[in-house]
Amino acid sequence: MKRDSSVHQLLPRPLRLAVIAVLLASVLIPLCYMFFASVNSDLSVAAGEFWPQQLDFGNYLRIWSTVELGGGLVNSLIVAGAVAVASALLATLTAYVLVRFSFLGRLAFLRGLLALQSIPGTLMLLPVFVLFASLATVFGVQVIGTRWALVVTYLTFALPFSTWVMVTYLRGLPRELDEAARIDGASSWGVLTRIVVPLSWPGLIVSGIFAFLLGWNDVLFASVMTNPESRTAAVALQVFGATQEGGAIPVYGQMMAAALVCALPVVVLYLIFQRYLISGLTAGGVK
Amino acid sequence: MLAPGGVLMFVVIVVPLAVALYVSLLDLDQYTFRQWVHAPFIRLGNYSEAIQRSNLLHSIRISVGYATIVTLATLPIGLAAALATQNRFRGRGLVRSIFLIPYVLPAFVVGTVWRIILQPDGIAEHTLSRFGVSEDLWLNGPRSFWALVIVQIWASWPLVYLLALAGLQSIDHTMHEAAALDGTGWWSKLRYVIFPFLRGPVTLAMLIAFLHNVNNFTLPFVLFGVPSPRDVEVLPVLTYVEGFQNFRFGVSAAMAVFSVVLIAIPLAAYLRAVRLDVGQA
Repeated sequence: MKRDSSVHQLLPRPLRLAVIAVLLASVLIPLCYMFFASVNSDLSVAAGEFWPQQLDFGNYLRIWSTVELGGGLVNSLIVAGAVAVASALLATLTAYVLVRFSFLGRLAFLRGLLALQSIPGTLMLLPVFVLFASLATVFGVQVIGTRWALVVTYLTFALPFSTWVMVTYLRGLPRELDEAARIDGASSWGVLTRIVVPLSWPGLIVSGIFAFLLGWNDVLFASVMTNPESRTAAVALQVFGATQEGGAIPVYGQMMAAALVCALPVVVLYLIFQRYLISGLTAGGVK
Repeated sequence: MLAPGGVLMFVVIVVPLAVALYVSLLDLDQYTFRQWVHAPFIRLGNYSEAIQRSNLLHSIRISVGYATIVTLATLPIGLAAALATQNRFRGRGLVRSIFLIPYVLPAFVVGTVWRIILQPDGIAEHTLSRFGVSEDLWLNGPRSFWALVIVQIWASWPLVYLLALAGLQSIDHTMHEAAALDGTGWWSKLRYVIFPFLRGPVTLAMLIAFLHNVNNFTLPFVLFGVPSPRDVEVLPVLTYVEGFQNFRFGVSAAMAVFSVVLIAIPLAAYLRAVRLDVGQA
């Protein structure tokens, strides 16, 4: 079926082109400026010039020594990666049960999953901090400042969303597959590991990536619960703002370069898995 | 099999929530913090202090105002973007990918970049002055509110776009044909044929966007730093500053509880709007 006849036209052509042009410009101009400023001198960024006077890629070398950005990126990778794997696996288990079995409180659980995604981070910050601090005073275990503190905290936020994504995904798997496997003698666990998980890779990837992004993007918890060693990239980037090199001008070029480096893994992930991510976004309907 | 995920969610969510409620009834500061269980119990003292002697009501106004304006402003932008890219054309894939970039960029990166763009004597001011606008203070003073609004619009419209696009794709081929047979103009086609289909997904997008905007801590925090200018002192930032800069933990917890009240209505509407049942059981 040919779908693109004039029948499907929604906007008149000039209007359509105008909308696309304006939006592209509004997205791309700040992004271009971000790149230009990262290769420009701090002085001309401070003077508000758009085009770089020079193409100095030295900022991309200097960012690693000005601030512990490398360590920050490694911390972010470890924390966000652990959150992604843990929440994707746990979410699959939980979602499978929610979709395939009926039990008392199932709808309440589903509703809870959605509600929990809207919990303000500021509501959880204080109690999590208090509880972690208590672990130190009561059991003598220093939790605050470790990467594990962040992993556990991010799981709180990542699990409800990941589970919801997996619920919307597993809904689409026909029950008959489960039943066929059961007739062949598979246990619940066998059905899950050999039928459900292999068939729900896209869902697993989406819920894992969203969990990863949650950890990667957080500033609120990371700014309170890390020390210079366990600092994530998001916090390290904030340190550039307070850094001045031999004068009154902040290191704008390095800030932009570091911001680009911090954004890169996210944008790359997005470009690779774009198709899956969009389906996950619209199916879950939630960021 | 529900156990691992379910128990974990219970432990890491319900327990902290209970602690948050309890702490909001305690006179907890940096001196009583180590033995927080024994901090003086002052009932609703923190709540009345938050209302009477802090910027709480001001912050709630700022938060609701900013979230409402951003949410409403992203509606026409996202909708126009979806309508303009629904039909196939050369380069559509690329355009769609670019449209989503502001949304996938981490908020702390967006904040850092726009902070440099909007700084005094920076690129935004220079560009505006060419058009005869001479506004220099974007990160301080009354205009900072609009700086926050504009940057958040820039970063969040693709959500509406995505959900509107999903809605457009669910419209049946015959609808387009019927409209074409009737010789409908493009605006009446949109108004009477297309928009009714989009009401569901777009409502959902609005609710999610509002909740997200109200809860947004990262962008105002990175864009303006703390202590933030009074005009952008949104509730999450106020709660953070009260707790982790002033170390008034009890009052901060009470403020956090207020933020739940703030999202209760849109959240309830959202829970009603989402298709919850999984089609069996």
